[in-house]
Amino acid sequence: MRHPKKVEGIEMSVEPMKLFFKEIKEPTETAMIGNYAVAGGVTQTDPDVICAFPITPQTQSVEGLSDVVHQGRLKAAFVNVESELAAISYSTAAAAVGARVFTATASQGYLLMAEALPMAVGWRVPLTMMISARAFNAPNLSIWNSWEFVLTDFGWNCIVSENVQETYDAAILSVMISDKSLFPTMFVHDGFIISHSVQKLTLIPDKTVRELTPKKPRHTINTKKPGTWGGIVTPSFFMEGRKNLDEAKQPVLGIMRETFKEFGKATGRQYDLIETYNLDNSSKTAFITMGSMCGNIISWMTKNKDVGLIKVRAYRPFPYEELQKIVQEHDLEKLIILEKSDSLNNLLPPFSTSIATALYPLGTLLRSFIVGLGGRDVTQDEFDIAKKKMEAVKDMKGPLYMYLGVRETKNKILGVDM
Amino acid sequence: MGSPTESYVRLSLNEDLVRSNEQVYAPHFVSVLDPSLLGEVDVTAGIPEGGWLIVNTVMNQLDIQDIVKRKDLNIATIDATRIALDILGRNITNTIILGALVRVSHLFTIEELSDAIMMRFKGEIAGKNIKAIQQAYEETCIYEIGKDVDFFVHTKVPWQQVDLGLPGYKELDKAGVWYCDENIIQVGSDQVNTGSWGEWEILWDKDTCTDCAQCWYICPDFAIIREKGDDGLWHMAGIDIYHCKSCQNCLNICPVNAITKRMKQGPASCAAPEESGGN
Repeated sequence: MRHPKKVEGIEMSVEPMKLFFKEIKEPTETAMIGNYAVAGGVTQTDPDVICAFPITPQTQSVEGLSDVVHQGRLKAAFVNVESELAAISYSTAAAAVGARVFTATASQGYLLMAEALPMAVGWRVPLTMMISARAFNAPNLSIWNSWEFVLTDFGWNCIVSENVQETYDAAILSVMISDKSLFPTMFVHDGFIISHSVQKLTLIPDKTVRELTPKKPRHTINTKKPGTWGGIVTPSFFMEGRKNLDEAKQPVLGIMRETFKEFGKATGRQYDLIETYNLDNSSKTAFITMGSMCGNIISWMTKNKDVGLIKVRAYRPFPYEELQKIVQEHDLEKLIILEKSDSLNNLLPPFSTSIATALYPLGTLLRSFIVGLGGRDVTQDEFDIAKKKMEAVKDMKGPLYMYLGVRETKNKILGVDM
Repeated sequence: MGSPTESYVRLSLNEDLVRSNEQVYAPHFVSVLDPSLLGEVDVTAGIPEGGWLIVNTVMNQLDIQDIVKRKDLNIATIDATRIALDILGRNITNTIILGALVRVSHLFTIEELSDAIMMRFKGEIAGKNIKAIQQAYEETCIYEIGKDVDFFVHTKVPWQQVDLGLPGYKELDKAGVWYCDENIIQVGSDQVNTGSWGEWEILWDKDTCTDCAQCWYICPDFAIIREKGDDGLWHMAGIDIYHCKSCQNCLNICPVNAITKRMKQGPASCAAPEESGGN
């Protein structure tokens, strides 16, 4: 691999990244946008290869990394490719020969990657990918936030972050989880809302990150041990290969939980697969969602103490047992699902389907509210009306989802009496 | 040329009853279009006692019994390759073997088969094929063992489709990788006697050969054997008949005509000629 040399006379430094040019010796409080925070976190994990194709709103993460590579701070191969499909193919192959690899995408880029996403799982490569969640384009083009990543996962691990601090931490956590589980991990933040918001965060010292993310030997494409990777098999073998992956995936939630604990011990920031707020409330009702909306709800809850919040951090594998336990322990009767994705007349959209499936044995009443598509802001208005509508829900009959915060006519909001 | 292929036909007295899309694991009739497959593929797998094995060959019943190690089968032989070359002018035996099937099975008549051929082919080709199946019908040699198969008894071995004996999911390597033993590539076509697929025997004349190695470069199956001589140089040493599929690339590229071909002895494969992908 060629390492680019610093070109004298060309100064293209990305100002916020300058923090990461020197060694960070102690926890440093600063403020920056989510994408640069991720670029910084990835820099600290010392990747060997960075290969991504720019797409809004993911761009600055790779831009920041190009700068630290250009300035000589990071000895990594920064590879420009012609598409997201090329990016994920290159990244998977680089990881398969033993490199630590970072890539990033969003929206249509994620969909263009789809063809090669399963092989990263099949080859068990500890690849990490950032996703700045963005709508996919139909019927109109939108560069703003929706959840495209819930469409399909192909067996990738997926953790979702609420704010800049969490997405910075996720950049490091993903490397830890990938390396330990030998499955690729994607970490998601809401496009623009987090990717382009300047927020406060505390940087972890380089030494701590190095200790958290040691490079260990693993199975790689190796000329000393030749083998056929990704070769064709007949019906006599394919199903065994799939079950082999299924078996390997089984301990991943446990690995994630342990990783969160280890990370918490080192940094003081304790995360979990699912986090809960105010579940012992009078209405036995809780919101359940993930990403940046959780912060909005937590703020809103300071004046609405009769509902709780369940925040899903590990979206894949879905922690269904943990969710069941939480609902049972707190005796919750109703769940209000907020989802930034829809499914056009299917029973429920994807995130809600995971929750409904997990809670099927418990018979918890639930409704899915589709909010914030294509970057529409999700505010206290949505939470107020969702809570009110949920009070009237007595069974699981009728449509289980509704759009919230959408104009019906010029002067009318769907489902809201003004 | 092509790899061994299985195909199935399921018949019912009532056409509406053929609803199953399963493969056939216990065939009552098996037609083998290439006798070299007898020793390579377990062609009699699943045939119940009294079932029929129909082979395109000039061998006799006892030889076939020895090769397939079954004495409880009715056996029919037909030299379909000769009929194909005589009448069709090409070594395509697919339709011809059906003449033998009609003869032993009595499931339908040679006239019905001819009608079917008229629906599939037109004009001269249809006529040639009908003539060929009629000749096959008449020339089929039948060796009966005095038992016949019961169509209404289900004889499939349970869970045959799972291929027990192969590695299970707990025995597979990580990432679905198939590792080679001791750095020797022992995978893919090297493990298969692909030489049996070819129609032609490729011959090499040592005296004419100039060791230019063009055939060695062009061979897609590494079937040109070279050996290092006392002079420290590599020399042509022959053709690997176990892996030569007789594509004839070497024959075409040889600048001194040191490579020639001849039809394999006896009936050869059911191969389609180059311009037809129909089989």
